[in-house]
Amino acid sequence: MTPSRRHSTLPLATRREIVPRIGYGLVLVAAVLWLVPILWMLVASVRPQSFGGPGMASLIPDAQPTSRNFIDAWEAADFPRYYLNSAIIVAGILAVQLVTITLAGYAFARVAFPGRQWLFYVFLLQLMLVPVVLIVPNLSMVARIGLYDTLLGVMAPYFASAFGTFLMRQAFASIPRELEDAALVDGASVLQRIRHIYVPLALPAFLAFAVVSVTAHWNEFLWPLMVINSPDKRPLTVGLAAFTRGQEGAQSWGVIAAGTLLVIAPLLLLFLLFQRRFINSFVTSGIK
Amino acid sequence: MPLSRRTFLAALAAAGVVTSAPSRAQPSTEIELFFPVPVDGQLARDMTSMIKEFSDTHPGIKATAVFTGSYDETLIKTRAAMKAGKPPAAVIMSANFVLDLKIENELTNLDALIKADGLTNDKFMNQFFPALHANAVIDRSVYAVPFHNSTPLLYVNADHFKEAGLDPDKLPQTWDELTAAAIKLTKREGDKVTRWGLMIPSNYDYLGWMMSALTMCNGGRYYNEEFGGEVYYDTPTMLGALTFWNELIGKHKVHPAGEQKGPAVSTAFLSGNTSMMLLSTGSLTHVRTNAKFPYKVAFVPKNVRNAVPIGGASLIIPAGVDGERQKAAWVLIKWMTSPDKNGWWSRATGYFAPNIAAYEAPEMKEFLGKNPDAKVGVDQLSVAKPWFATYKTVPVRKALEDEVQAVLAGKKQPKEALVAAQKAADEILKPYVDQTALKLPGM
Repeated sequence: MTPSRRHSTLPLATRREIVPRIGYGLVLVAAVLWLVPILWMLVASVRPQSFGGPGMASLIPDAQPTSRNFIDAWEAADFPRYYLNSAIIVAGILAVQLVTITLAGYAFARVAFPGRQWLFYVFLLQLMLVPVVLIVPNLSMVARIGLYDTLLGVMAPYFASAFGTFLMRQAFASIPRELEDAALVDGASVLQRIRHIYVPLALPAFLAFAVVSVTAHWNEFLWPLMVINSPDKRPLTVGLAAFTRGQEGAQSWGVIAAGTLLVIAPLLLLFLLFQRRFINSFVTSGIK
Repeated sequence: MPLSRRTFLAALAAAGVVTSAPSRAQPSTEIELFFPVPVDGQLARDMTSMIKEFSDTHPGIKATAVFTGSYDETLIKTRAAMKAGKPPAAVIMSANFVLDLKIENELTNLDALIKADGLTNDKFMNQFFPALHANAVIDRSVYAVPFHNSTPLLYVNADHFKEAGLDPDKLPQTWDELTAAAIKLTKREGDKVTRWGLMIPSNYDYLGWMMSALTMCNGGRYYNEEFGGEVYYDTPTMLGALTFWNELIGKHKVHPAGEQKGPAVSTAFLSGNTSMMLLSTGSLTHVRTNAKFPYKVAFVPKNVRNAVPIGGASLIIPAGVDGERQKAAWVLIKWMTSPDKNGWWSRATGYFAPNIAAYEAPEMKEFLGKNPDAKVGVDQLSVAKPWFATYKTVPVRKALEDEVQAVLAGKKQPKEALVAAQKAADEILKPYVDQTALKLPGM
C-alpha cells in the first residue's frame, strides 16, 4: 500500500519521474500476487467437483457454480453460535482495551511520576514475549480465578495491551500541550481533558488500533483452543479447525474454501465498507 | 440391528421415565474427553454424537467431547490444562506420546482399574492386536488403551499401471520393483514432469513416521523400543532408507523435491498427478469415497524385510484424575474400545480397530468382503512394530525431520544430515540418559 500512496501525494514536479512509475507497477504485481489465494478461495468455494480433478488448481470459475460447499460447511459447524462467540470476544476485548490504553497512554505521555520512563520500557518488554510461552501461566491464572472454559477467560489476558499503550502514548504526546492547558484553565478535570481534548484528536490512532486488535483476536486460534472446552463456547477459528486440521486423512478443499470464506467474510465486508477511513487512520498514526 | 438398538434405546428411555425421580436426586459425574480430529469435519460430529450416545446410555455420567486441534495441539492443551489444575478425564492421545507422558509422571496407571474389573494386565491387553502393546504398556504397567490405529500403505492407481504396461494385480513388493514401476509411471514433457511415479509425505510428524517405515523395511529399528533415551539415526539402515528416498528425487526423478504435505499427497493421488503414494491406512475411507478410478493397496515395499510402524491414537487418563471422575473415565474408555464401538469407528474412518473381536462382528465381515482394501491394513499388522517413542518425543523427532527435509530439498547429503540429526537428538535425550542408563550406584 505504501508506495501507491506516496505516488498519489507526490509533488507535481516529480510526477514525470520514472522511478515512481516503476514503484507503482511493482505494487500492482504485488497486489495481484497477494490476491491469487483469495481469488482461488472464491473460485474453489463454488466449484462443484471440489475434490481432485486436474482443474482443481485453476483460477477460472466453473461454468456451473454450486452452493453445495457452503451448505456443507454451514452444516458442519454451528456457525451462528461461533459468529456470536467471536463477536463477543472481539468486542469485549476491544471495549476494555480502549479504556485501559487511553488511561495508560495518557499517564505515560502527560503525567509526571517517578520512574515513568523505566516503567514504560518494562511495559514495552511485553511486546518481546512470544505468546506461546505465556499459555501455561495465563491458563493457571484464568483457572484460579474461575474463568476456565468461559469467554471472559479468553478475553482476560488481553485487557491490557502494551502495543495499544505505546500507540496512544505516542499519539497523545504529539498533541500540543497548550490545548490541555487551555482546558485546565477552564477548570476541566483529568477525565474531561482526556474525553474532550485527547480522545477526539487521537481518533485515527484509536481506529488503527481497533483494526489491529479486532483482526488479531478474530483470527486467534491457540489461546481460545486452550481455554474453551464446551462446544457452544467455541469461536469461529476453533470451530473451523475441525475441518482443516485433519491428521492422516486428506481434505475437501471446496468445503475448506467455503468455510474460510464464511469466517473472514464479516471482517472483509467491514474493511471494504470503511476502507478509506482505515487507510487514512493507518497513514496518520504511522503504523505499517 | 438398527431396529433392535432403537428398541433398546426406547426401553432405556422408558426405564429412565420410571426411575427418573431417584436418578435425578443423584448428581451425575461430569467428565470431558479431549480429542484431535483424525480425518475430517464429519468425524468431529461423529465423535460428538458417539459421546452423546454414551451419556444417554450411562445415567450418572455426563460426558462432553472437546475438540482439541491436531495431535500436537492436543498434547499442548492437555499439559496446559493439567498445569492449570483442570485435567480432562480422558484424552485421545497420539500413541507415541504415551511414553513421554509417563516419564513426566503425567499419566494415571491403569493397573488398579483393570484389577478391579477382575482382569490381569495380560488378559486385558490381549483383546488388542499384539503390535499395539508396546505403545501402551510400559514396564509391565498399562498406561493407555488403543483406540484407533494405522500403518503406512502403498496406494496405487490401477489405471496408470495398465497404461504403463504394468500388472495391477502384481504390485511392487521390493524397493527394486517400486523404483522400476515409478520410473515407468512418471510422465515427462521435456524437462517438466506432468505425472510423478511416487509421492511420500514429508511434513512434520508424517515425515518421522515415513522415515521409520522405510528404515524398518531396511532392517532397522529407528529407536530403542525398551529404553526412551536412544535413537538410531546415524546407522546403515537409516542411511540406506534416506539415500533411497533421496535417489527417487535426485537420481531417478520420479518423486518431487522439497516438503510434501500429507493432504497435498492424497490430493495429487486423487487428481492423477501421482500414480503411487505411501500414506496412512487412516486415509483409506477418504480415498475410497473420492477416487474416480480403480485403486489398489499393498504392504509398504521392502529392501531387507517387511516391517512398518503402527500409528494412530490411544485413550489415556491424565494424572490427577481420581475418585468418581476416574471411574467414569474408565467406563467411557472401555465403552469406546469395545468391539462394537471400535468396529463402527473403524468403518467410519479407515483406521483399523485395535480390538481383535471387532473383526468377528457380522457387520465387519460384510464390510471387509465389500472392501478388500481395508483388509490389507489389518494383514500388515502381522509385521507391524511399535511406534517411535522416547523422552521428549516431539523435539527428538523434529531433530531428524529438519535434517531429512534439508536432504529432500537438495541442500544436504544423507550422511551428513543423519550425523547432525543424531547429534541433535542425543543432546535432547542427554538429561534423561544421565538420570537413567548413566546413573550408577555412587558407592
